[in-house]
Amino acid sequence: MKQRALNQCMEISGDPYGYLKKWKQNNNKKIISCFAMNIPEEIIHAAGLLPVIAWRSNESVSIGHSRVASFNCGLTRSFIDDVLKEKLNFLDGVVINRMCLQAQGIPFILEQNTKWANIIYMSLPALYDSDCIHDFFKSELDRLIIAMEKCSGNKITTEKIINSIEIYNHNRKLLSDIYEIRRNNIGIISAREILSIVHSSMIMPKEENNKLLLEVIEELNLKVAEGNPKSGIPVVIYGSLCQTPHPELLDLIENIGMVVVDDDIFIGSRYFVNSLNVSDNPIESMANRYFSHIPPCPTKGDYKSNWSAYISDIMNKNKAKAVITLMIKYCPPHMCAYPDDQITFEKKGIPEIMLEVEHEIISLEQVRTRLQSFVEIIGGI
Amino acid sequence: MSEYKLNRLETTKLIGNIVDKHWASLRHAKENGEKVAWCSGPVFAFPYAMDMKCHFMAGYSSYAGGRGAAQQLLEIAEEDGELIDSCSYHKLHMGMAAAMRKNIPVRKDVILPLPDLLISGRLCPEMSHYAEGLYRKMGVRVTGVDVPPPHQKSEIKYFEKYVERQIRESLIPALEDVCGKPFNYDRLTEILITLKETAILRNECWEYLKLKPSPWTLWDYGVSIAPVFYLMGSPEAVPYYNKLKAELADRAAKKIAALEPEKSRVYWDGWLPWAFLGKFSRIMCKLGMVPLVGRYPWEFFPHPETIDTEGDPVVSFVKQVYSNGGQAKDNMPSLNLPVIQNWIEDYNIDGLIMFSSKSCRMWNLGHNDFIAAIERQNGIPGVVIEGDMVDTRMNSFAQIETRLEALAEMIEARKG
Amino acid sequence: MLYFAGIDIGSLCTKSLILNEDDVIIGTSIKRSGAAYRGAGEEALNAALKNANLKSENLNYIVSTGYGRARIPIADEQVTEITCHARGSSFIFPEARAVIDIGGQDSKVIEINNKGRVLKFVMNDKCAAGTGRFLEVMAGSLDMDLEQMSELAKQSKKEVEISSMCTVFAESEVISLFAGGTEKAEIASGIYRAIARRVTGLASHIVSGKKVTMTGGVAKSNGIVWALSKKLETELLVADDPQIIGALGAALIAKAKFNNL
Repeated sequence: MKQRALNQCMEISGDPYGYLKKWKQNNNKKIISCFAMNIPEEIIHAAGLLPVIAWRSNESVSIGHSRVASFNCGLTRSFIDDVLKEKLNFLDGVVINRMCLQAQGIPFILEQNTKWANIIYMSLPALYDSDCIHDFFKSELDRLIIAMEKCSGNKITTEKIINSIEIYNHNRKLLSDIYEIRRNNIGIISAREILSIVHSSMIMPKEENNKLLLEVIEELNLKVAEGNPKSGIPVVIYGSLCQTPHPELLDLIENIGMVVVDDDIFIGSRYFVNSLNVSDNPIESMANRYFSHIPPCPTKGDYKSNWSAYISDIMNKNKAKAVITLMIKYCPPHMCAYPDDQITFEKKGIPEIMLEVEHEIISLEQVRTRLQSFVEIIGGI
Repeated sequence: MSEYKLNRLETTKLIGNIVDKHWASLRHAKENGEKVAWCSGPVFAFPYAMDMKCHFMAGYSSYAGGRGAAQQLLEIAEEDGELIDSCSYHKLHMGMAAAMRKNIPVRKDVILPLPDLLISGRLCPEMSHYAEGLYRKMGVRVTGVDVPPPHQKSEIKYFEKYVERQIRESLIPALEDVCGKPFNYDRLTEILITLKETAILRNECWEYLKLKPSPWTLWDYGVSIAPVFYLMGSPEAVPYYNKLKAELADRAAKKIAALEPEKSRVYWDGWLPWAFLGKFSRIMCKLGMVPLVGRYPWEFFPHPETIDTEGDPVVSFVKQVYSNGGQAKDNMPSLNLPVIQNWIEDYNIDGLIMFSSKSCRMWNLGHNDFIAAIERQNGIPGVVIEGDMVDTRMNSFAQIETRLEALAEMIEARKG
Repeated sequence: MLYFAGIDIGSLCTKSLILNEDDVIIGTSIKRSGAAYRGAGEEALNAALKNANLKSENLNYIVSTGYGRARIPIADEQVTEITCHARGSSFIFPEARAVIDIGGQDSKVIEINNKGRVLKFVMNDKCAAGTGRFLEVMAGSLDMDLEQMSELAKQSKKEVEISSMCTVFAESEVISLFAGGTEKAEIASGIYRAIARRVTGLASHIVSGKKVTMTGGVAKSNGIVWALSKKLETELLVADDPQIIGALGAALIAKAKFNNL
């Protein structure tokens, strides 16, 4: 079956370095990395820059460990490793959001080890109830606007932001449509493939990605018509904040008797679940998005949100039978939130298994044993 | 390694009772009809101003660690589902909560009454997680104050205004609601007056650390932090530091060193290893190595002469966290590195120990860059040691000792 | 008469067990695994068959388990060791509701129901701390075998802490303690307590209030059974041959699978 567009997504997701270097040669635009969640890319886009989401490196960390200890998350370690290996020299800057202590500490390492002119740090606030928090969020956006104008040399107008929002909303709609196709045709596309599609959106200019996604949808519809989807126990994966799960791990989940029907991970539904209202006041729209509790985010100090209830809703929507928690090792926001989620899953009788995921490829045999046991439990041996 | 003589201070023997009294008063607060607050971040002065008894997250953790109760609480937390790699301070609190919920017998002095208000001071972006956990598990009332550390000088005033606004619009109304009375600005001013006096005395004591040999050490100061921080405003604060200053002055006059022989003087970065001060002290004493200054213990109101006791106490307090150097401003290496480079000269430092906690990344990132920058400017060596503030499983002392010995050898080689 | 076999290929040893249709164990064997799992599986099975006076043609169904389970072509099906240990334990101790299995290179705690079905499990397979390998390394650093270390630990008069979670660093600690004059008996006792602590961290929320059985080769060590019983404050149920429980479970499942065909 023809899947040119899907293959292109997987190629870009598999080698963002190669794609972006080539793109930069052909385009006269600067590239800004976003580390990693909740950064309002639309503002960066409105400045005429290309925002890309920081990705986990394609090799094991080596010299990065001279600057950041091994007990830090894979995204932090591999990002610093890539920086020191000069694999990211094509970037023109980075915007880092204060999600966690690792994000808080990265700017110093970059200042000491690079000559990057644009290391922008945002302190997006916690979701505490008060007007001053909302006002502060908006002032952080104002600071981002000033920084991006300086970086690009372009003025960011309200009209430009609105235009960027429309393009981004369209991208989110297309991704959502792709997820809907999978929801209605379980097994029609693998977890690895669908996450590559989302990841391609995080790397490509949204205008180009939108065209590509339309082709992906056509290909998927043809595939649906052909029939013959993969079957298995329907599961939802959740967790994996900020960084891509290993594709081999996703394959393992789906080759052992399960099929992923939906997710709540960043390189997944979290990236597109919140569209912005297009209005005359885009800053207000962005604030509304940030302060919404959808999806619940443990990096936002969101003590009132119930993450497990959100996952439960996703399960119901997809008639899923079980949850697989992807726990990024040394991700404190998720590590601290997870125990309460686990208790809730247990109370609700939702079968759940937690897999610790690291940047370096974990021993798949051991993961296979755990997953197979899990299938044996759900399947009732 | 060789024989040594550690001359312990008399004054620091008093701190145990002062601290015990504080935690005891917190434990009995509810019986006495008093309101209780728990707090992370530097804003506990505000519940104190309302005569609430107040816990402090890092203070409780250092107390539990120092009393030898930490390991049990950590294990209880993990048995309750907390992950082993989570922040130890977070787990101590979850362990305490689990012990309360499940009636697990633990030392009574580490169990606190549930707060009427939990103030989530988000100086570290992960500090909020313990508030979230306690809210979910125990249903406590939470109010939050975001306290972002600045990365650039231009952010200092900007964040100061933000924190001030949150205190006025969010924290103070919550305190008034819980306590059923208006906020007592006068009491806050009184606390600041006492804090100013205490911290000025403390700074005078700091000067003695510059003497060679020093009459006291960073560990002595570490156990003396409470009166200038989470016991600020208490009646024991000024008398304690007066005694301490007098004892140090006496030692200086008689040329009594804290450690004999003092072979090297070191900077300590990161948290203090509260549950292992004795162990670290013994290892370093055998090497003749005296810790004297560190980024973390120097963040507590380092410029008390700037505390404005006449004007608006809210503004005055927040300035101490930001403009006038303090918890938010001084823990960011981008701004702090030049200050530390000056300390190397002021305190005659021979080497750096960067304590890298495995469960907390507040200070860790950039440790080797720190060492490199200071080595370039000041010409002294440094080592990174990995461990934890309170969790014994994360401290491998055989490895730590090897690294400290290596540091001592590097220092000696450079002196030679 | 119908006959069923279980083959449990572990990292250190391969075990095999033959069961008849009346649930009577008629042959067992334990062999070193080596690197060639396939060969070890066949060798162990042949030894068990010889023990039972049977030939392979007599077998009606074979289930393989353990880390090498996927590489045994003679097996009709492979099932994880978690499920097999659960089933095997429940057969020997019907009252057990939790299983602690400490193997050569991992440890697991399994919650089971009255039919030996797995309800939930937790595993430590990320590092050697708390596994048979940890014990071997520690015994080596004290220059004795496991049985000697087990006996010596009971003579300890003082509690000594081995705090490192990492096997390699714990070995450094042991050497340091010994060099510093600590008695071997105290160190040995500290080692068992370290494992017990590690396993308890994994296990306690599963085993609390339940009858617990211990399986796997490490359960043969009195020292670890004693230390774990003490730490968990419960008497552990240990079969005469705890190492064979996985293979037993596999054979029971082989019978169940065959009957469902």
